[in-house]
Amino acid sequence: MLFNSFEFLLFFPIVAILYYLITPKYRWVFLLVASYYFYMNWQPIYAILIFTSTLVTYLCALKIDSTPVQSRKKAYLTASLIINLGILFLFKYYNFFNDSIFGLLNDWGIRMTLPNFDLLLPVGISFYTFQAVGYTIDVYRGDIKSEKHFGIYALFVSFFPQLVAGPIERAVNLLPQFKETKIFNYQQAVQGIKLMIWGYFMKIVVADRLAIYVNSVYGAPEYHSAITLIIATIFFAFQIYCDFAGYSNIAIGCAKIMGFDLMTNFRRPYFAQSCAEFWSRWHISLSTWFKDYVYIPLGGNRVGTSKNYRNILITFLVSGLWHGANWTYVIWGGLNGLYQVIFKILGISPKRKKEGSRFNLVYIGNLLLTFILISFSWIFFRANSLSDAITVIERMVTAPGGLFIGEKSSFAYSLFAIIVLMLKDAYDEFYPDGNLFFTSKVRTIRYLSYSIIIVIILLLGVFDGGQFIYFQF
Amino acid sequence: MKKFVLHCIIGLIIVFILDFGIGKGLEYFYFKQTSGFQHRTTYSIEHTNEDILVFGSSRANHHYKTDVFEKKLNSTFYNTGRDGNFIFYQTAILRSVLKRYKPKLILYDFAGKFSYDEGDYDRLSSLLPYYKHHPEIRNIVDLRSPYEPFKNVSGIYPYNSTIGNIVIGNVNIEGMRTKANKGYVPLFGEWKDPIALHDTVKPYEADENKITVFKEFLDLCKQNKIPMIVVVSPIFYNYESDYSIALCKKLCDEEKVPFFDFTRNTDFLKAPYLFDDISHLNDDGATLFSDKVVDLVKGKLKNQ
Repeated sequence: MLFNSFEFLLFFPIVAILYYLITPKYRWVFLLVASYYFYMNWQPIYAILIFTSTLVTYLCALKIDSTPVQSRKKAYLTASLIINLGILFLFKYYNFFNDSIFGLLNDWGIRMTLPNFDLLLPVGISFYTFQAVGYTIDVYRGDIKSEKHFGIYALFVSFFPQLVAGPIERAVNLLPQFKETKIFNYQQAVQGIKLMIWGYFMKIVVADRLAIYVNSVYGAPEYHSAITLIIATIFFAFQIYCDFAGYSNIAIGCAKIMGFDLMTNFRRPYFAQSCAEFWSRWHISLSTWFKDYVYIPLGGNRVGTSKNYRNILITFLVSGLWHGANWTYVIWGGLNGLYQVIFKILGISPKRKKEGSRFNLVYIGNLLLTFILISFSWIFFRANSLSDAITVIERMVTAPGGLFIGEKSSFAYSLFAIIVLMLKDAYDEFYPDGNLFFTSKVRTIRYLSYSIIIVIILLLGVFDGGQFIYFQF
Repeated sequence: MKKFVLHCIIGLIIVFILDFGIGKGLEYFYFKQTSGFQHRTTYSIEHTNEDILVFGSSRANHHYKTDVFEKKLNSTFYNTGRDGNFIFYQTAILRSVLKRYKPKLILYDFAGKFSYDEGDYDRLSSLLPYYKHHPEIRNIVDLRSPYEPFKNVSGIYPYNSTIGNIVIGNVNIEGMRTKANKGYVPLFGEWKDPIALHDTVKPYEADENKITVFKEFLDLCKQNKIPMIVVVSPIFYNYESDYSIALCKKLCDEEKVPFFDFTRNTDFLKAPYLFDDISHLNDDGATLFSDKVVDLVKGKLKNQ
């Protein structure tokens, strides 16, 4: 079920109302059933994978907790990792590695083949696998105790607001919340509704509108001029942000209405002044996951300089691969790692300026440089293939010609959507305690502000936009 | 909880009032347009009274020249073709037309495919402004999703993404739109590249909805005793075979509807200067093609 579908607009209010009507003791059962129903709307059979992942991590965590022998703890952890990552590998990476390795051998004259599997990628598999794996590692490290209640743990893995595209939650944050008796909280519910409305704006008005232009340009980059490809790449930078942050806002909003606090996933990433800061604002739940479970175990920055650079590169390459089984994603990840290393080598580490001293040339320069570098890396993320990405880059510096507009009104709506988005983000960034429009002290103005956003969604939203980009990861 | 529900209701009331008011405004200005594709759809659905009607997509819209038909057949003519709209749209227009009158002749320009394409369903949004007042088209629009009746309760939803065109259609800025002559919109480009070979369209699984709706179009003409000709207009590329055209011919043959395929006509395949792009004739090409169609029509009328 998609958040931007009519079905979800019926499903969620019913679930939220019933949730509060049910005796607190049995709410977890209801949420678990609702979560599996939500997921099984795609491919019911793939619910077996979530259940398998849940069962394996649950049992392994129990065993890790109960055995005092360190080697056994490690064996259970390894078993959990092998089974979970093995499923992920089979469904997501097997064909990619098969093609890449045997393609390379073929180039060297060694002819070997293994059959590819024609498997549909289960929606959200990378998200719930990482969440479940993270839990097992936390138990192994002794950061948390294993969860004894299988139902509660199953709900932790499958909680529908964040099941298919995050935020990737930590057990220490989410598990205890399922055991609390949630009493309806007005402020929290209002905050949840506001987040959902803004999330829908980001997805339906901005991301899906920009997608029309981006898809048409990136679908045939060989026919487009430099200026068109640059505009399409900038549009994609906003599209991917709004698609994913929009989903996160709706997810966090849904959870809030039911009394759950999920972690913040985006903090206005295009106001970052360096690539390192960008990654502390973008997909925060995944960035911190990689930091805690990959970067730090590799040694993090508590090692020599060259090893630290190696650790950064490995972490970003793995992050790239996490996003998709394609060399374009690996290069995208590698490029972002490289940015960080280069910035470190050059000693560029802009610190956030304090209020009042932000609007200077250095600040704007850093902001633009970061945006340009990140947007450049998005070319690899968006291109349909490596050769397409190279075509885009080549033509960005060589192809003459005017700007392709496509449908004029749609292009104008795209610009309008970006302006509204950036105005709100800029206001939130620079005036976090301000009280205009959405945060006005006058209730009528707040009502009107959100009502106008709903009207804009109805007026300019793309209702046939389809699924969220991050579902494929 | 009570406070929350109360505030939700207040919020919904504000949204409802805005939606109703803005929706009414959009409706007024949408139907007040005097140019553009939205105006032409309105005319096609609500005002046509011409002897000859052309149905089709952009290829119909740019290929059937009004002057040629009106002068040579001494009949009135209107071109209902609309860019990017295929079988579903055309059948909906025909249903509305037949509620008002029976044209003397219908020309159906076939383009597109019978395979499933989500985009063809999405593009039915072009009919949403007519959903409330034209019950005859509702079950076609409902093919978009089973929730269309609920979505159309909104005043703004039917006019989603149309505000830009509504503004241009009402401010009447000279030169912003190519002038149409009774639906026909001429193209004036000239294709320069040599002819290419396109991929073969192999047999595919047809979308049952499209087959049903296309058959309905043929049946409606038959039931209302309206002479009809199905034409596939010229293209500027070669191909070995095209299953969509073959299937269209088969369906026409089954219903005994005359079918003419111009895609291999050498008068056009040798003349890139008659095309604006490989799928669309320019005004000169449309004049020549319309002449040829007029000859077919004369033959058809003579035989009756």
